Amino acid sequence: MTRRWIALLAMCSAASCRRPPQPGDPLPGLSAAERAQFDSGRAVFDSTFTPQVGLGPLFNASGCGECHEDPVKGAGGDEVEHHAAVFHPERAAAMCDELADKGGPVFQDSVTPALHAALGIDREPRPPSVTVVAERTTPDILGFGLLDAVPDSVILSYADPDDKNHDGISGRPNRFFDGRLGRFGRKASVPTLREFNDGAFQVEIGITNPSVPVEGTVAGDPLPAGTDPAPEPEIGARGLELADAFVRLLAPPAPLKQSREARRGRDIFAQVGCTGCHIPTLRTGDNPIPALSHKEVAAYTDLLLHDMGPQLADICFGLAKPSEFRTEPLMGVRLATKFLHDGRAKTPEQAIEMHGGEGMRSRDLFEALPAADRAALLAFLKTL
Amino acid sequence: MHRVTLISAVLFIAPLALAAQQPTAPHDSVRGAIRAVDTRGRTLEVTTGVGLALRVVRLQVPAAVPITDQKGAQSAPINLAALKPGDVIRVSFGSRPTGFVAYTIERVGRMEVGVP
Repeated sequence: MTRRWIALLAMCSAASCRRPPQPGDPLPGLSAAERAQFDSGRAVFDSTFTPQVGLGPLFNASGCGECHEDPVKGAGGDEVEHHAAVFHPERAAAMCDELADKGGPVFQDSVTPALHAALGIDREPRPPSVTVVAERTTPDILGFGLLDAVPDSVILSYADPDDKNHDGISGRPNRFFDGRLGRFGRKASVPTLREFNDGAFQVEIGITNPSVPVEGTVAGDPLPAGTDPAPEPEIGARGLELADAFVRLLAPPAPLKQSREARRGRDIFAQVGCTGCHIPTLRTGDNPIPALSHKEVAAYTDLLLHDMGPQLADICFGLAKPSEFRTEPLMGVRLATKFLHDGRAKTPEQAIEMHGGEGMRSRDLFEALPAADRAALLAFLKTL
Repeated sequence: MHRVTLISAVLFIAPLALAAQQPTAPHDSVRGAIRAVDTRGRTLEVTTGVGLALRVVRLQVPAAVPITDQKGAQSAPINLAALKPGDVIRVSFGSRPTGFVAYTIERVGRMEVGVP
C-alpha cells in the first residue's frame, strides 16, 4: 500500500500534477541559469527610472512595469499612448510617413521638469502635417517569446494577399524598413522581440541603450542643452539583456479547463470563421532556449495584417494601411479589461461587433447566432 | 628647375588626389527604406530604427559614389535616379562637417516584396 502511494506521488511530481503556468510565471522547463536571468530581468522590468538616471526628457512611463502591470507584471494596463502619422491616400503611390524625422510615430505624453522648464511643454508636440492620431493601449506581452520563436515561414504560409482561396480573408505581412518580416506591434511592424523591447526603452521611457544610443528629438528638434543630464547609454547591455530575458521567458497564461459550453463555443468560434485570422496554434522553430524550441503556442493569431474596415482605421505604419491591423493574439485575453488596439471595446462581445472589413462576415455570423451560441463563444474566449 | 617643381608637385598632389578618390573607412552603415530621393541635390533620406524608435538618415550622394542593384549574387551598377521610395538599400557612409556622405549604396530589394 505504502509502495503504491510512493509510486503515485512520484508520478505526480514528475509530470501529471505539474501546475500549469499562471500569469506572470516563467515558461516551464527553464534551466537554472535561464530562471536566474528571468528573476533578475523582472527587477529591471520593474525598475522606476528618474531623470537623474535617464528618464525622458520625453516619456510615456517611468518603467516597463508602470504600464504592463495588470494583473501581473508583463500583462496589460490601463495607460493609453499616442501614435501619429501622415498618409494621403488620394495621392498616387501614397507612402506612409511615420514622422520618424519629427519625433514619430510615438509622441510622448510626459516630459521631465527640466524639459518643461526649457520649452514650456507638457508633452511632445505633434507636427501640423499629422493626418491621424491613434490611441494605443498597453498590450499584454505574456508569451511573446514564443511568438518571437515562430519561423517567418510559418507566418508567411498563412498569407493570402490576393484572397486566392476566396474566403474573404487576405492576410498579408508587414515589413520593417529593412525589408524583414514584421510581427510585433499593433501594425506588425517590428521583426523581433529584442528590437521591440530595446526600442521601447527609448520611446516609452526615454532610456537610451546600446541598441538606441541617442535620445529622440522634440518633434524633430534637438533637445535643449542641459535637459538630459544622464550620460548615454542610460542602461547598459546587461540590463537590456535581462529585461529582454524576462519578457522572452514569460509564459503565456495557460488556457483554463473548458466547460461543455466553452467547448461548444470553441467549435462555434471556428464555424463562424474567426479562426481564419485567429489561428488557434502556431509552432515555434529551432531556438537556443529549449523552452521556446518546437513548442505549440495557443496564440490565436496569424501575425499578419488584415483590413478591419474604416471604422477602426487610424494610422498607417510601413506597409500597413490605416485600416490594416495585425490579428491580435488572444492568448491571455481573459485577463484583458479593454479590447481592440485602442481599448474602445469594453467587452469581448463589443470587440467582435466592431470588427469590419475582413472580419465583417464573421461578425455578421456571430450576431446572427442564437443567444446561447453567442454566450458559448464568449465563454470559450474567457478560457483563453 | 622645372623638372624638380613638376616632380615635387606630382609627389605632393598625387597622394591627395588618390585620397580624394578612395573613400575613407566607413564610419557607419545603415539598411533601411528610401523615404525620399532628390536627384538634383543628390541627397537621399533613409528610414531605419529599432522597434518603434525610428530615425531618418539624410545622406549626400557625391557623383562618384558607386550605386548598385543587388539581385542574388549579381550586382549591376545603377544611377541615383533609379532609386525610388520604398527601395531597401544598404549604405555605408561617413560624417563630414556638411553632414553624412554616402560611400557606397546597394539596392537590396523593395519593402513590399521583402528582404530576408
